[in-house]
Amino acid sequence: MSSVLGQGESSESALALDDGSKSVGTLLGLASRLLWRDWRSGELRLLFLALVMAVTSVSGIALFTDRLEKALLLESANMLAADRVLSSGRVLPEDIFMEAQSQGLRTARTLSFTSMAFSDAGNMLVSAKAVSDTYPLRGEMIVADAPFIRGAPIASGPQPGEAWLESRALPALGIEVGDTVYVGEADFTVSKIIIAEPDRSGGGMLDNAGPRLMIHMDDVEKTNVVQLGSRVSYRFLFATDEMPLLDTFEAWVGETFEGEYRLRDVRDESQEVSEALNRAESFLLLGSLFAVLLAGVAIALTAKRYSERHYDYVAILKTFGCTSRQIGFIYLCIQALLAVVAIGVGSLLGWAVHHVILRALQAVITVDLPAAGFEPFVVGALTAVICLLSFALPPLLALRETPPLRVLRKDISQQTIGDSVPYIFGVGGTIGLVLWYSQDFVLTAVLVVAVASIGLLLSGMSYALLRSSSAVGMRAGSAWKLAMSAARRRRKQNVLQVMVFSITIMSLLILGLLRSDLISDWQAQLPEGTPNHFMMNISQPQIDGIESFFEENGVQGNAFYPLISARVTKINGAEPDPQDDLDTDAERGTLAGGAQSDDEDEEQTKGAARVGLGIGYGQGDAADSQTAEASSDNAEEADEGAVRGRLSRRQVTWAQDLPADNRVTGGEWWSEAAAPGFVSIEEDYADWLDIELGDIVEFEINAQTVSAEVNSFRSVRWDNMQPNFFIIFSPGTIDHLGATFLSTALMESEQKVLLNELVKRFPTIVVIEIDALIEQIQNIIAQVTSAIELISVLVLVCGALVLLACVNATLDERFYENAILRTLGAGKKLIMTSLLIEFASIGLMAGLVATLGAEASLYYLQEQVFEQEFNLHYWVWVAGPLAGMLIIAGLGVNSTRGVVSISPLNVLRRLN
Amino acid sequence: MIEIRKLTKSVPTSEGTLTILNAVSLAIAESETVAIVGASGSGKSTLLGLMAGLDAATSGDVLLGGHSLAAMDEEQRAVLRGQIVGFVFQSFQLLPSLTALENVMLPIELKGDDQAREKALSLLERVGLGERVTHYPNQLSGGEQQRVAIARAFATEAKILFADEPTGNLDTATGSKIIELIFDLNKEFATTLVLVTHDERLAQRCGRIVRLIAGEIESDTGAKLTSRDDAVENASV
Repeated sequence: MSSVLGQGESSESALALDDGSKSVGTLLGLASRLLWRDWRSGELRLLFLALVMAVTSVSGIALFTDRLEKALLLESANMLAADRVLSSGRVLPEDIFMEAQSQGLRTARTLSFTSMAFSDAGNMLVSAKAVSDTYPLRGEMIVADAPFIRGAPIASGPQPGEAWLESRALPALGIEVGDTVYVGEADFTVSKIIIAEPDRSGGGMLDNAGPRLMIHMDDVEKTNVVQLGSRVSYRFLFATDEMPLLDTFEAWVGETFEGEYRLRDVRDESQEVSEALNRAESFLLLGSLFAVLLAGVAIALTAKRYSERHYDYVAILKTFGCTSRQIGFIYLCIQALLAVVAIGVGSLLGWAVHHVILRALQAVITVDLPAAGFEPFVVGALTAVICLLSFALPPLLALRETPPLRVLRKDISQQTIGDSVPYIFGVGGTIGLVLWYSQDFVLTAVLVVAVASIGLLLSGMSYALLRSSSAVGMRAGSAWKLAMSAARRRRKQNVLQVMVFSITIMSLLILGLLRSDLISDWQAQLPEGTPNHFMMNISQPQIDGIESFFEENGVQGNAFYPLISARVTKINGAEPDPQDDLDTDAERGTLAGGAQSDDEDEEQTKGAARVGLGIGYGQGDAADSQTAEASSDNAEEADEGAVRGRLSRRQVTWAQDLPADNRVTGGEWWSEAAAPGFVSIEEDYADWLDIELGDIVEFEINAQTVSAEVNSFRSVRWDNMQPNFFIIFSPGTIDHLGATFLSTALMESEQKVLLNELVKRFPTIVVIEIDALIEQIQNIIAQVTSAIELISVLVLVCGALVLLACVNATLDERFYENAILRTLGAGKKLIMTSLLIEFASIGLMAGLVATLGAEASLYYLQEQVFEQEFNLHYWVWVAGPLAGMLIIAGLGVNSTRGVVSISPLNVLRRLN
Repeated sequence: MIEIRKLTKSVPTSEGTLTILNAVSLAIAESETVAIVGASGSGKSTLLGLMAGLDAATSGDVLLGGHSLAAMDEEQRAVLRGQIVGFVFQSFQLLPSLTALENVMLPIELKGDDQAREKALSLLERVGLGERVTHYPNQLSGGEQQRVAIARAFATEAKILFADEPTGNLDTATGSKIIELIFDLNKEFATTLVLVTHDERLAQRCGRIVRLIAGEIESDTGAKLTSRDDAVENASV
């Protein structure tokens, strides 16, 4: 028998055992009971809260952005009166229209042209627009029965034989509703007054030359106004509630016509809206990334603490016969149960949060929101699962390795997988999550680099600390020494803690600073009182008259810019040799969004509205150049013609003073007594033509050659919807060559009737109305701003959660040490002061590192992602560390306050 | 019931290998009550931990209920513990987040027994805590906590009960009551009882006292039963 025993097998008289397997039901039951008991005892609350926060923020933000994006697109679609538009100065192929209908799209067509309208009492230039029955496809026409009153929506446009007019046309023509108006050879009965038209701001020059006159499509022929060669704008409008149909149709148009026709959406239509939307999307994405990141860190911290508190639990379970595998299963079940509940609660809260956001935005979101999809919930749930797997699983699985002997000897060290492993897992999980969520390598890289740099920085700091601390004891002599020795003793923990704090503070700083920079940028872009009317083709003698007209009528007028068409012919005596790359900031800023269009007038108006460029209405050269520029926005579309076009003509000006929103980036702006013969060039344009300061550039202006020395480069704020110029001469250089003038004015809606008088008094000038466009952009920016504010708050909550979790993570040890100190006679004041100093120095360091990281990340984000100018935020260098110190010290001391109020015996008993 | 064969436990330290137990052999029969005594650091708790299969020996073997622990991995030892071993600890080792009742139910539930609640209730009743079943450990006195631990130890009707300084954290009067309780239940359930103690009163209640000094058995009041191998060898002589 001894030999049998010697081989380590059971003796024949061994007690019978079953295989020890417990039914899945038993383990599940046990897991759920453990979960419930842990919940009840409060052990799980922080972990659960972190999970719920992750799901809530992600699903809430995803829901909100999903719906907001749909809504914004819808609302902006109103600017087009359609989802997609095809426009041209030539007749559009009927095939396209038919194909759209056969693919199930809703369609409409419009035709714009300028014409004189006559009445028995007078006449005026009107922007005529003929529309089909189905117009508009998006947004609504608002009409009234009398001019200058509030109107009501109407389903479709005028019927054959009817004409609708904008209010101010009636006094100009001296007619009333019901009277007759003549256009070409046809006569119409004025049946309604147009108060608002959805795509009024999105039209071209032909739509902005005078008040609107709208007729039915079928009546165009009988006016006999539109002839071969007439300047008209044909438009096909398309809309559908099923987005994929649009994509299919778009692809079909592209393939069938080999890029000759391109459908445009609102992003092509309005640079400003598109930029606001893109930035808002990037911001929301960044916000939710931070929310996920922070919730992930909170999960990691709370899971680690949870598992540490469960070592004894597991040791006892093992003592009572639970195998490691069963322990693993139980904790997996706990996680799964936790995840299910957290996903449920988080999704509900996410739903609520997005409703709160929507409610807050109610005033600005004027369209009905499309229903939310299911996707945001899936995103939220997946986030929770990935967070759990990468952040919580490692420490919980480490529990399996708890030696049962721990029940006898507490000092037996936990055979964990190492302190850093959960963090490594977490980092891997975070990168994966961020990448998956953003689908954006740049953003992911910025985040990873920022966090990694913080890690490196802190490793260096901890190394320095290690070197400086020769003796590490309690050093209980003074609070300061006590705190410092405590900080050193927990060096590893503290470095991790500083890291978590600084990542949190950094996230909040980045988001907060980005938020205020974005908002102030937008406010600066279109401040209150932005001029909303352009007047062009003004001759020198008319200037005084216009100025006094504005003064008499209380209209806020602005400076008059001379305007003249010029062409660069030589640079330092050589032919210009432009770079190939056309995708400069100026291109993106100035030109219509990449539309391949031959609707010249339309492009031209946009150019004017957007940047006040290429303004000379009717000047063929300028129009050509604008069109060429517009079509060359995409590098792949650039061709020889485009380059020639961009070189051929520029609307240039001269000025004594640097225009507002311009900044000199090289050289110097001329002084008051400047001699003629100097020129200032926009920096990207100079770059494109390879012009250096001091170069002599030769221009052809009105058949004369003018040379000027380049003495400054400028950056120009292209999105401010004010007159901006690539080329500005010093006074006296080109003054003698004959120029027309351009000016802007702010006219409130009730002042618009003055336009009749203005045009009557100065018949040669052209007025472009961009008030509707500006209002729409301001509206969208207001929405986006509110959205950004709310996301910031959500991330702030996540950040607070992480800070709390992080302080809690080292609570036990601090409690224990300080309980011993108190037992040994340390006073309340000494302990509290030492804790305060320890937390404050951790917070100070975290704040400093966070500020550094935030500024570095912001530099990259603003320059690359948000296309903003980066400026150091000096006040943050003081406020960041200070805030870190105050917050961490406050939180830390508040959480550990108990150590001096509970008796040391209780603390020691509780922790043993 | 328990047989220890040349059990050695050594651990590496910075000053070389430290031998905590040195080739200890011991046999304990069914229903025997054994006290292991000795000074601090004599290896009592280590021996208990190895006997109970909570730790693995450096060399030698333990037969627990006829099963060789040396041949088992931690998973198999856990199964064995769950089925034949019960524990009482000096520091009670109650789970703070569970009530008294839940603490007692835990091992029964782990065995997959549907009657966990009933059994636990009746045991708590038996240890005199019928009125306090819903209390949490921190709401109970030390003595009461140890009663709960005792109820939990007997809950699975274990064949062997290991107790590590069961009165070590209790005052004399409470300790005496606990001793009574352990022995009463031991008798009732006919359990083999092995306890480690400093408490002479407690040791004297046991049928046999094994005294350890520096990891070796210095004396054993049941010396003739020290090793079955010896007995076999003696018999064969």
